[in-house]
Amino acid sequence: MQNFDVVVIGSGPGGYVAAIRSAQLGFKTAIIEKEALGGVCLNVGCIPSKAMITATHLLHKAQHDFKTMGLNIKGGIDVDMKTLVSWKQSVCDKMSGGVNQLLKGNSVTIIKGTAEFKTTKELTVKSSSGTDTVMAKYFIIATGSRPIEIPGFTFDEKDICSSTGALAFDTIPKRVVTIGGGYIGLEISSYLRKLGTEVTVVEANASLLSGVVDPECAQVVARKAEKAGIQFKFGAKAKGQKKTKDGYEVIVEINGKDEVLKTDKILVTVGRRPNGDQANIKGAGIQTDERGFIKVDAQRRTNISHIFAIGDICGQPMLAHKASHEGVMVAEIISGMNRVYDAKTVPAVVFTDPEIASAGMTEAECKAKGYNDLMISKFPFAANGRAVSMSETDGFVKMIADKKTHVLLGVHIVGPEASNLISEAALAIEMGARLEDVALTIHPHPTLGETMMEAAEATLGHAIHIIQKPLGGAHKTTTVNK
Amino acid sequence: MTDIRLPELGEGVTEGELVKWLVKPGDTVKADQTVAEIMTDKATVEVPTPVAGTIKELLFKPGQIIKVESVIVKLELGAATTATAMTTAHKPAAPVAATNSTATVDVKLPELGEGVTEGELVKWTVNIGDAVKADQTVAEIMTDKATVEVPTPTAGIVKELKFKKGDIIKVESVILTLSGSVSTSTQPQAHANSHATKPTTTTAAPTLMMAHTTASSSASLFPPVADSKVLATPATRRLAREMGVDINGLSGSGLAGRVTREDVLSAKGGSAALTKDTGSGAVSAGTPTMNFPKPAYNSTNAALEERVDLVGIRKKIAQNMQMSKAVIPHFTLMDEVDVTQLVAIRESVKDFAEKNGTKITYLPIVMKALIATIKEFPMFNASIDDANSQIVYKKYFNIGFAADTPNGLVVPVIKNADQKTILEISKEILDLSKRARDGKLKPDEMKGSTITITNIGSVGGMYATPIINHPEVAILGMYKIQDKPIIKDGQLAAIKVMNYTITADHRLIDGAVAANFLKSFFAKIQNPGVLMMGLT
Repeated sequence: MQNFDVVVIGSGPGGYVAAIRSAQLGFKTAIIEKEALGGVCLNVGCIPSKAMITATHLLHKAQHDFKTMGLNIKGGIDVDMKTLVSWKQSVCDKMSGGVNQLLKGNSVTIIKGTAEFKTTKELTVKSSSGTDTVMAKYFIIATGSRPIEIPGFTFDEKDICSSTGALAFDTIPKRVVTIGGGYIGLEISSYLRKLGTEVTVVEANASLLSGVVDPECAQVVARKAEKAGIQFKFGAKAKGQKKTKDGYEVIVEINGKDEVLKTDKILVTVGRRPNGDQANIKGAGIQTDERGFIKVDAQRRTNISHIFAIGDICGQPMLAHKASHEGVMVAEIISGMNRVYDAKTVPAVVFTDPEIASAGMTEAECKAKGYNDLMISKFPFAANGRAVSMSETDGFVKMIADKKTHVLLGVHIVGPEASNLISEAALAIEMGARLEDVALTIHPHPTLGETMMEAAEATLGHAIHIIQKPLGGAHKTTTVNK
Repeated sequence: MTDIRLPELGEGVTEGELVKWLVKPGDTVKADQTVAEIMTDKATVEVPTPVAGTIKELLFKPGQIIKVESVIVKLELGAATTATAMTTAHKPAAPVAATNSTATVDVKLPELGEGVTEGELVKWTVNIGDAVKADQTVAEIMTDKATVEVPTPTAGIVKELKFKKGDIIKVESVILTLSGSVSTSTQPQAHANSHATKPTTTTAAPTLMMAHTTASSSASLFPPVADSKVLATPATRRLAREMGVDINGLSGSGLAGRVTREDVLSAKGGSAALTKDTGSGAVSAGTPTMNFPKPAYNSTNAALEERVDLVGIRKKIAQNMQMSKAVIPHFTLMDEVDVTQLVAIRESVKDFAEKNGTKITYLPIVMKALIATIKEFPMFNASIDDANSQIVYKKYFNIGFAADTPNGLVVPVIKNADQKTILEISKEILDLSKRARDGKLKPDEMKGSTITITNIGSVGGMYATPIINHPEVAILGMYKIQDKPIIKDGQLAAIKVMNYTITADHRLIDGAVAANFLKSFFAKIQNPGVLMMGLT
């Protein structure tokens, strides 16, 4: 029997952050993890996929750009998949080890095992070393989500894989069929393609990333992926698979007709579902919705006042950084501070080639919110010196602002380092910045960041590095009615 | 051990003064039993415990100021339902039915859908004495959207059904109570898929859960979450939250309407001056923040003086009066009117009123006459929105009446008085006055008045010059009824007269208008027949 002030269940980017902040605030804190510290993000999600994407991006550059730049490689580049995978693993281990150190340095008790609510005040934790009871005044559920499995495609994580299995491939598969053209499927498909795999993406919708990102951004990625040789089957439904002597046959239905796709590996990335069915959450009386998300209020408090839920388990968007933000907030709420989830935007990034990143609202979302008069414009990376010198000119920065106030409502980037550029947009939106605020901030040259400034100028009607109508046009004034 | 926190006391109320404890350590309390009385600047509020148990510790002393959400009581859970209930929670092997049989569980009407606050009981699907399983439907409730089956979240034996068919039930009301749990033989069936320790979990957990649900719903968020359209930096949003300022109600002074740090600070400093009143239909005048001088009083004879903190209702009154006098250029018009007929009419309906279980005073009749008159003079039922330089004419008639209470002046409000009969208004006045004296008015019942009547004449004094209840623009004063001799048709005659004052905001209402207003009002008071012509 162990007794704590705060017990966090799950050590992903929500859980470990909540635990550290709880400890910083002086609570006797424990964190329970059944697998590796850091959760999906650090071990089988964000971090390992980025390692693979970075490596294959360099490979791609070497194969395609080096020659133009006069860098000639004698012979081909030999990909040693075993070393690549172990390097990727070392990245994960380093991160997970870092979490371990941070938790220990903050005197957080780390409990390895599987937790289940016994009552709303105590947990049973089962591990290889036995069963223990853990009690606490407050619980923070941060047990995350897992890949959705679809009928007929039971994961074996060798041939029929979720992202977890695909990230662990230690040989380069010859052929892969990816079911689901969302961001996870696209990220993995893109890097596999760069390794030489023949990839076919089966997507139920008519386009990639539909409803997730700005449609124009998705188009840029789709065009480049097609050029890279990824096959797309849109409006296609995966009906089943069959093992053959030289791999698998995936049966997909397109326009009512069945089509057979031959492959070696099948990657199923149709989304993630919250782990609301685990840890006896329902048995303890904690309310979940019909999709399995724990119901929480704006403080991430469940129907039971001393139990909180953060991250994927408590609702969309299922993103690590949202979970971390909630983790800090909940720990502070427990300590008596008046906090609430009132972020204006959760920036989202997709590590495709090129990357997509967005903050704030899409045009459709703005309209739905009642912003009828919008200013929308784009600035292309092709007009940015740094992008040209990097030989990565696909894409643009698109800005959406309220015409009445010039307040920035949404920024959508597709292009090189979009993931690193979007933070400025997120800050601008949180601060309630106007286009002028971004345009009048001096951005250093020569950087990709200049595209933000130029996009703001373009939206105001007078960017320097693209041809726009002379001043005196539609947006000649920078003053706004209060 | 469970912490009982000070629940939300009303919109905009962040703290209250502990008047007294109604329990002491060692007492066993039932769920919803009042444990303390807290005085806020609006009213005295009874604070209930959301859970049953034994009081272990009281964390504040009377007179202390307590912030909302502070822990006020430490409580040993469930002890009131005997210690065995606790035992079962911790000992998985204990036979649940035997030990738990004395415990009762309240089943509440759950949320029925967004925006639905109540529903009509169509029928019970269980009877008293029935054993029910968790999730079994116990009632059918019809809302304006659909008929909903209401399940019980926990198993037990139905002990009491709290409503009858056809009753309108508010969400969160207790609809039935369950006693203990059903026999151990039926319980596992209710959770056929659960593991061995589950029966304990399910009996113990829901009890806790329901208790805590109450706790969390009563401790809902204040200030409300900032709307996504509010323009304010994250740091400013946090500042507003920490200072208890509802940022949604601020009109930002920054470019493009941005709410600045200064806006938040001054909103807090100037109390409600800058905030929008989100109360029932009330419109804020949006007066600029007032910074009044704060002269000290330097005691020269401190030994013979007593210093008391200016807090609670007194402080609120002080602030309101100061602001009203500072903002509104007041003027008062006084006159007397013959109320002989009015007195006779009131006498004639006394018996009727008593048969209907109430007492008719002059106030409801005066209220009707006032409404009839302000319908002719809409500027009396208006507010000035200083921030936007606009006059707000109100098409609803919520009449406030000043009530003297041991704690000071409060103004309960008869909402939509134009739609109520004199009898209904009478009953409401009696009820509100009684609760005002007892300090038990809800904040809602003191909000949203569009014009106010003050009746200090019932105590004494010929005339007064009342202060307008800002953001209203007028206040009607009514005074003592007296016998007065007059010369009528050359003869000496005795009539009854009553003095009235109308105090108005000269920014909106001119003297001649007020005189005409009083004339029209008097026509109705003098001859209640005229008033009746206008009654709907």
